[in-house]
Amino acid sequence: MSLSPTFLLTAIIFTPALGALFLAFFNKKAVEPMRMTALVFTVVTFMLTLFLLNDFSAAEPGIQPVQEDGTRGVSHVWIESWNINYQLGYDGISVPLVLLTSFICMLAMLASWSIEKQVKGYLILYLLLETGMLGVFLALDFFLFYVFWEVMLLPMYFLIGIWGGPRKEYAAIKFFLYTLAGSILMLIAMLMFYFGSSNLPGGSSFDILALTQIGQGNVAGITFDRTVQITAFILLFIGFAIKVPTFPFHTWLPDAHVEAPTPISMILAGVLLKMGGYGILRIAFPICPVGAQYAAYALVVIGAVSIIYGAFAALAQTDFKRLVAYSSVSHMGYVLLGIAVWKIGEDSAAVGRDYWLMGMNGAMFQMLAHGVSSAGMFFMVGVIYDRVHHRDLNQFGGLAGLMPVYTGLAAGIFFAGLGLPGLCGFIGEVFVILSAWNYSPVLAIIAASGVILTAGYILWTIQRVYLGPEYKGPHAEAIVPMNYREMTVGAILLVFAIILGIYPESMFGIMRESMAYLVQSLDQGYQNYAAAVQSTSEAISGILK
Amino acid sequence: MPTESIGNELALLLGIAWLLPLAGFAVEIFGGFLWPRVSRTAAYIAVACIGIGFLCSFTALMKWGNATDWVVLKGTDSHHASAGEHGGEGHGDEGHGDEGHAEEAAHAEHAEGEESESGVHHDAVATTFSGTMYSLGTFGGLEVTLDWYIDSLTLLMFTMVTLIATCIHVFAIGYMSDELTEDHVDHEVHTADGGHFHRPGRFYKFFSYMSLFCFSMLGLVLAGNIFQVFVFWELVGICSYLLIGFYVERKSASTAANKAFIVNRVGDWGFIIGLMILWTYCGTFRFVGEESTDGHAAKPGLFEMVRGNDGQIDVNEEEDVVYLRDAHGHRLEDPETHEPKTIPYALLIVAGLGVFGGCIGKSAQFPLQTWLPDAMEGPTPVSALVHSATMVAAGVYLAGRFYPVFTPEVLLTIAYIGCITLFLAATIAVVATDIKRVLAYSTISQLGYMMLGIGLGGWAAGLFHLVTHAFFKSLMFLASGSVIVGCHHEQEMPRMGGLRRKMPITAYTMLIGVIAIAGLAIPGTVIAFSGYHSKDAIVATALAHTNLNPGHFLLFIVPLVTAGITAFYMFRLWFYTFAGEPRDQELYDHVHESPWVMTGPLLVLSVFAAGCAIGGEQGFLYSMLSHSEPAGVATGVEAAAVSLPGHDLIHDVHHEAGVMALFAAVSGAIIAYLLYGAHVLNPADIQRHFTGLYTFLVEKWRFDDLYDAMFVRPSRVVAGWCAATDRVVFDGILHGACRAAINISKWDRLFDEGIVDGLVNLVGNVVFGIGRSLRVVQTGRLRQYIMFIAVGVLTLFVLLFAFFPKY
Repeated sequence: MSLSPTFLLTAIIFTPALGALFLAFFNKKAVEPMRMTALVFTVVTFMLTLFLLNDFSAAEPGIQPVQEDGTRGVSHVWIESWNINYQLGYDGISVPLVLLTSFICMLAMLASWSIEKQVKGYLILYLLLETGMLGVFLALDFFLFYVFWEVMLLPMYFLIGIWGGPRKEYAAIKFFLYTLAGSILMLIAMLMFYFGSSNLPGGSSFDILALTQIGQGNVAGITFDRTVQITAFILLFIGFAIKVPTFPFHTWLPDAHVEAPTPISMILAGVLLKMGGYGILRIAFPICPVGAQYAAYALVVIGAVSIIYGAFAALAQTDFKRLVAYSSVSHMGYVLLGIAVWKIGEDSAAVGRDYWLMGMNGAMFQMLAHGVSSAGMFFMVGVIYDRVHHRDLNQFGGLAGLMPVYTGLAAGIFFAGLGLPGLCGFIGEVFVILSAWNYSPVLAIIAASGVILTAGYILWTIQRVYLGPEYKGPHAEAIVPMNYREMTVGAILLVFAIILGIYPESMFGIMRESMAYLVQSLDQGYQNYAAAVQSTSEAISGILK
Repeated sequence: MPTESIGNELALLLGIAWLLPLAGFAVEIFGGFLWPRVSRTAAYIAVACIGIGFLCSFTALMKWGNATDWVVLKGTDSHHASAGEHGGEGHGDEGHGDEGHAEEAAHAEHAEGEESESGVHHDAVATTFSGTMYSLGTFGGLEVTLDWYIDSLTLLMFTMVTLIATCIHVFAIGYMSDELTEDHVDHEVHTADGGHFHRPGRFYKFFSYMSLFCFSMLGLVLAGNIFQVFVFWELVGICSYLLIGFYVERKSASTAANKAFIVNRVGDWGFIIGLMILWTYCGTFRFVGEESTDGHAAKPGLFEMVRGNDGQIDVNEEEDVVYLRDAHGHRLEDPETHEPKTIPYALLIVAGLGVFGGCIGKSAQFPLQTWLPDAMEGPTPVSALVHSATMVAAGVYLAGRFYPVFTPEVLLTIAYIGCITLFLAATIAVVATDIKRVLAYSTISQLGYMMLGIGLGGWAAGLFHLVTHAFFKSLMFLASGSVIVGCHHEQEMPRMGGLRRKMPITAYTMLIGVIAIAGLAIPGTVIAFSGYHSKDAIVATALAHTNLNPGHFLLFIVPLVTAGITAFYMFRLWFYTFAGEPRDQELYDHVHESPWVMTGPLLVLSVFAAGCAIGGEQGFLYSMLSHSEPAGVATGVEAAAVSLPGHDLIHDVHHEAGVMALFAAVSGAIIAYLLYGAHVLNPADIQRHFTGLYTFLVEKWRFDDLYDAMFVRPSRVVAGWCAATDRVVFDGILHGACRAAINISKWDRLFDEGIVDGLVNLVGNVVFGIGRSLRVVQTGRLRQYIMFIAVGVLTLFVLLFAFFPKY
């Protein structure tokens, strides 16, 4: 079966929104039918992304689909006067993330049965959120990207603010303000690019592909000069780093996670954080290679600090969910570290480019692995929270005897977070770490020491929650074994953690060519820039002579 | 010789042996759903998996032997020609009768091993085989794969591990049988209401973890690259964690499990650093290169890169770099710049130390030895399998396997670490009273011997001891398990005594183990148990090393003295437990010999503990091992700093060293007899005389306190700081900013309300006021309005005329 690319991509993005519209006509008391309907829509979306995977050609490095005239992606005029297009496309970087999004949304919807308050509103917002996230991963027009980015923001605000825990207003506003601050920085950078590209044949553009070509010095006559690139990169980086989140922009995350309901935590950790990493890979690095190279060291430092700092902070937590939230900070540090290990030599060419490529691949893999493992961890926290309604790590214990299946699944998921070989967390972490020595031995050693701390906080958590003779907290009578719905979610996540862990090629195979192309073009882009600077200075000295 | 097919056959056999336990695990873990709690099915599956694994391994060993015409065991004649070309430097003219023969055979075969690796001489018999399973990821020119690597060491390890594991699995059917119930009472755990803890039995779970462990351990041995070793390294670590913490309700067990894993991770940090360096400079993890079809090593492996084809490190003294070479000994070049590929010598040392750091953690060497005694919280079969015979020996195995990458400096470090460890642990074992803890410290000490042997250049001696130790130590652990079951979970030796009358099989099989580890023998006869041969080999290496490097005499004195201490504490254990009169009559009355399912494995293992090293260095085991010896070990190394003894030097002092070691062992045994057997002296008196020392030893040299103060508490403090930084600094800034924004808005509001609105209101009020005052004129009377209009118009005209400019 072959669908037109425009139709397929549009269907992927807007099927959840359609579901939201459909749900609007339900009686708000028909809770169960509404949940089933929403689930069906997320499943359909997931199926559609599988069609996308089917259409995707792993051998093609650039953006797909490739049209007959050679242009990439699909593009339709949206706002003509501003040269804004409804432009979509996918490559080996976005396809895995799109799959992850629809997959996690499906599972989180299964976990949403625990939501009992204002179900209709919840489901509608949930589906709108999914549309926003899918749109971000598929948009190729910066303006469209920005729109989806904001579309995702509002439902999230309400989902935390209405269905959250005791401090939900605080958390929701904190989340909103942080993200909005990031969006505004991104907006500034976007406008810089837009007005900087006015010499293009078609006039100023939001086209990410065109902007990338300019940024990498492949378009005659137009460049983003060094200052523009550095400024724009820093603005974009902060915007995306807030989302990732990296030290020191991470403090919204623990609060948001702690207050958000379980399925929303799963989405937040499983998908939303990846938008930051995706933004860096799709926009910040490609459009501003000079800025990226300028900031590379700082990025690696931030990555390494995030790993260690997040792990230490996790060690100190007594709130189960907060601990998992800090583990996300730590794990996402690997992503930044892997992306940024871009070392250049005297001639501006990358030194040990294969190691950088490995870091990039590892970072991308880490995003997917973390998507599975952290969603799983939050789900596991949610399962016990639904029963005993507290998260104090010092008031658990003995769950292994009371809920054996739950404990088994949770241990598997937590081991994935611990980076145990054979499970997904290992590959991403260790490949990133291995690639880092080439860039900076000291930072590599610091980052590698995270393995000790990670083992520390995860094992200590397992001991406090699952082991021991007796449950020590309140509501002991409410502890009942997992039901089948919960088991399904947990088991699916664990199975995927295992598959990714023992056969990482399943994901590397999809992303390999695109990653290689990205690294190669960034390297070339920086060299173009260096050559231009060289020839200018030669010309000037020639004139002076 | 169809070498490829034999290689694939071996890989298939070992692959089956490796994967069967995984399949077993996958089934057994669901035992709670599949079988009632009283069912032994899980154990039968586990035993079947590992038993078939043993058969496969043994078949593979035989096939390997047949395919190579048992060159290992034959004299030098058959392949002397090729040996003359390659490995001949070190042993041209020293013939030491029969022994020399065997050594030479080893050399000759070794040379062949190299050839087959490098793929030059296809007429020679291949003895090492390697290949790739599948790729984990490819990044440009870099590829991370899972490989297999089979040589005689791999085969021996497989056979040893599967054999011992089978015995221990069978033993565990008996040992764990109290788990075969719906209502297991754990007497060590108390509930809040003061009663004992009740839970369903977890028989199946124990066996599923054991199967997972066997899979991981065999994977570690089969691994063909160092990254893969790391993968399985972590997996055996987590199995160890699960098994130590098997009694999850016991706080002590879960804490010990955490400690084991986290301390191991400290070592693994070093391991990762080593991996990073090697990966960055060598670009491969494989031990040996891939052979492409045309017979050229397409990509050399780590061993060839560092050691070339002659076992030497190609150092550029001026720049302090090491040239990386291929299997033919040619220096590697960068394909683009044509500059030679090098690695700084210092980094090669760091890489070696890093990887060895992993070995320190796994093999519980100083300074990371503290986890192993605590690991005795696990069920005794776990201690026997994981924490004595296999997993902890993996560190030694890796040190041996990775020997070619270690520089002399690293080897010296290994030797000293081993030396410190073997002494330190032995001293603690002397004062320990828990039967399993004595064995645990003894294990640490023996692992120290192995490390020492490897570090001193006695490659085969170290690994020889690994295998013999695996047999006698697993035997002793199982015997202690039998004692523990017999005494109803009493582990304190002071409460035992005289048990040999009630449990003779356990007592005398244990005695075999004790004699083996102590290294007792009757010189000049065949009556010599395995430990005698292997410890002898290490002590001889140490003596030869000291003769070459008199400055490092401690590396000989300490192990020699410790050999005496070893004999002392092991005989102490035996006398304490089995000899004399019962010290606790009530306990003694309930003691019983264990059922056959437990004593059977004891008997099997005691046969191997006694006889596996039969023939000593001319025997099968040693010959097989030394066949895999890396190039250059046999000849020794002469260097200004530290020389390593070659086989001939070691052989020269072998007899001398053997006598000394035997003397030490006999003295230790006699002292133990005097103190604990014949009661000529009272140990309590001696204890009183050395109270300070005694306490220091009982407190395990205070390492736990030290580490707690140095690492555990500080890291919690730092963790507290980080969390506080988030709360106080980052959130503080954010809250401050928010507060500032709110304050600004408040001022803004005041400004708006007070000034802006005030002005507006003022204007409004004024207008309103005027309006109000004007209201009085709004009378509605037409005549009055006309009068206003008339007056107004009149006024305007007046003004017009008054002010209008006149022309």
